[in-house]
Amino acid sequence: MECVFGLVGKGFALVVADTSAVNSILVHKSNEDKIMILDSHKLMGASGEAGDRAQFTEYIQKNVALYQFRNGIPLTTAAAANFTRGELATALRKSPYMVNIILAGYDKETGPSLYYIDYIASLHKVDKAAFGYGSYFSLSMMDRHYHSNMTLEEAVDLVDKCIMEIRSRLVVAPPNFVIKIVDQDGAREYAWRESIKDAAHISTA
Amino acid sequence: MNSQQIYYIFDLCKSPNLSLSLSFITMAKQHARWSPYDNNGGTCVAIAGADYCVIAADTRMSTGYSILSRDYSKICKLADKCMMASSGFQADVRALQKVLAARHLIYQHQHNKQMSCPAMGQLLSNTLYYKRFFPYYAFNVLGGLDNEGKGCVFTYDAVGSYERVGYSSQGSGSTLIMPFLDNQLKSPSPLLLPAQDAVTPLSESEAVDLVKTCFASATERDIYTGDRLEIVILNADGVRREEMELRKD
Amino acid sequence: MVVFLGFANLLLTISCNLIIYLFEQVMSMKFDTSGLESHHGMLFGARDELSSGLSAAPSFDIPNSNDFDCFQKEAIQMVKPAKGTTTLAFIFKEASQSVKKIIEINPYMLGTMAGGAADCQFWHRNLGIKCRLHELANKRRISVTGASKLLANILYNYRGMGLSVGTMIAGWDETGPGLYYVDSEGGRLKGTRFSVGSGSPYAYGVLDNGYRYDMSVEEAAELARRSIYHATFRDGASGGVASVYYVGPNGWKKLSGDDVAELHYSYYPVEPAVVEQEMVET
Repeated sequence: MECVFGLVGKGFALVVADTSAVNSILVHKSNEDKIMILDSHKLMGASGEAGDRAQFTEYIQKNVALYQFRNGIPLTTAAAANFTRGELATALRKSPYMVNIILAGYDKETGPSLYYIDYIASLHKVDKAAFGYGSYFSLSMMDRHYHSNMTLEEAVDLVDKCIMEIRSRLVVAPPNFVIKIVDQDGAREYAWRESIKDAAHISTA
Repeated sequence: MNSQQIYYIFDLCKSPNLSLSLSFITMAKQHARWSPYDNNGGTCVAIAGADYCVIAADTRMSTGYSILSRDYSKICKLADKCMMASSGFQADVRALQKVLAARHLIYQHQHNKQMSCPAMGQLLSNTLYYKRFFPYYAFNVLGGLDNEGKGCVFTYDAVGSYERVGYSSQGSGSTLIMPFLDNQLKSPSPLLLPAQDAVTPLSESEAVDLVKTCFASATERDIYTGDRLEIVILNADGVRREEMELRKD
Repeated sequence: MVVFLGFANLLLTISCNLIIYLFEQVMSMKFDTSGLESHHGMLFGARDELSSGLSAAPSFDIPNSNDFDCFQKEAIQMVKPAKGTTTLAFIFKEASQSVKKIIEINPYMLGTMAGGAADCQFWHRNLGIKCRLHELANKRRISVTGASKLLANILYNYRGMGLSVGTMIAGWDETGPGLYYVDSEGGRLKGTRFSVGSGSPYAYGVLDNGYRYDMSVEEAAELARRSIYHATFRDGASGGVASVYYVGPNGWKKLSGDDVAELHYSYYPVEPAVVEQEMVET
């Protein structure tokens, strides 16, 4: 089952997501990247229905790009989070998007930040956040070991602890995860944690 | 509070117009079992041959245990070389026939020719699919001659999925007739490679006899089939009709 | 590099089961027709009841029911053909291949069908038209990525309305082989190996086990055929003909179409049974 979580460290924020594309009892794919790079300094980790997730995150990404194109300056992470929340809230009364989002970003003025946005359009600025079945393990793990101003090494160590706990305790644990970080140098993929290789890797290798 | 009440309250939340939905609460209770559909029964068969096509249907129209008519034709001529036999809900069938007739009239004005049977087959599919979310309750077989003069049969579901086949049956008696035709005619699947010809090997008169036999049998067991059998034969000479009496009980 | 696509399915059977439908209220209402845009002029100026049924761009009538979800559920039951399907496709060194209920979108692209027969048939045809128009407008063939997204966006627009489509779009474009899985819940996945339909778990079992990226065309065709055969053997709803297609740089080619019943006897010839005990007349 889906696991998306993230945390804020010293001068960076990081988002982790599982990479399984599941349909009922079938795993169609185990290298599906669920963390979208919104713009140069923003990450959007999303969980929820496959169609809604793909459509909604792409919609947000394109609108964030449009704003930057029109105005010459990018949205701040806070503004992007509030925009995302607004779109979810509008959709909520029509046909809701079933997506939960962890938005991480880095702004020159305010540094790294992390936002928790769920499908019923609630928005919280947090230090650490998680969605899905994996949250039961990762939240307590992060509560125990998190401290402000974590270094990247400490944070990745904590993330690995969470992943190992999910893999060993969750019945329907996904095999693979992707870790992405955002800091003053921008948003980028940091690492994969894979216990199963998908054919795609072999073919592109 | 029972589940039905809860259901209506839930409904109310969804309705943009409160007073309107309040009136639904009472209306809905009265008409909760109302349906826009009926099933008037009837069976249709079509068989394609090398140079002919046989389309047949009974003429009974029923609702439940009542017989509404013993002489209602289910076969409709859509173009010179194209006939449609339909069973299901007579009102929807009629509406469908009128739409197709109108579209065909427009086609004739625009192209100054009759529509071919395969073209009509695609048109029927699209017409059915455009009502995907409120379907025509009609089960059709389309029979005719293609541009090479070969017999062709198209078979449909209610929302427009269709396939060109060698023979087909639709309607209330199709569950009795289809396995019989499979047994007698079993044509190779068009998907096979190397391809095998799907046209039935029967002669025209043999096909007509086969149709008569299977309707006589279906009438024995299906209460919605009976009274009279109407057979239309299309070949290079034109259109010919035959009839046969069926059981009237 | 080539792509291979495997796919087998049940005969297209159309069932006409009769069910009782309960509807509270029915009226006619216009609905979203974005999936069916046609830019050609209409025969009549006004979009009235008649022209909507007759013009080039008819609209989908939807019942204005008090409870659309309930209406849909009832309507779906009567309309859906009882049909099971297994389809699979994979990319390997040489090509891509698949089975019947394959729609030939253009000479370089195939779509597989699982789910509602009419929904698959209609929207694949619609996609074929859109791909051709793209080709005419841009003087080059549409990419597999683009084509699959056209279909996924259409299906996403109809989400929650009861469409049932599970498809793979396989083809060859300027970037080489492409394979996407698209479904009516709006899902769209890029991949190298998929199976869709009621028999897909069985097909995956054989496929995953036998898959290697560096297969020859013959090996890949046999793997696809075998996977489909074993799926039709275990899945009661799948059966009929197993067709195998191959998509390479020069377009698709149908490699085989076999009745799975005959495949069974070629894989497992009948062996004379050993008589363990004989009845002896006393």
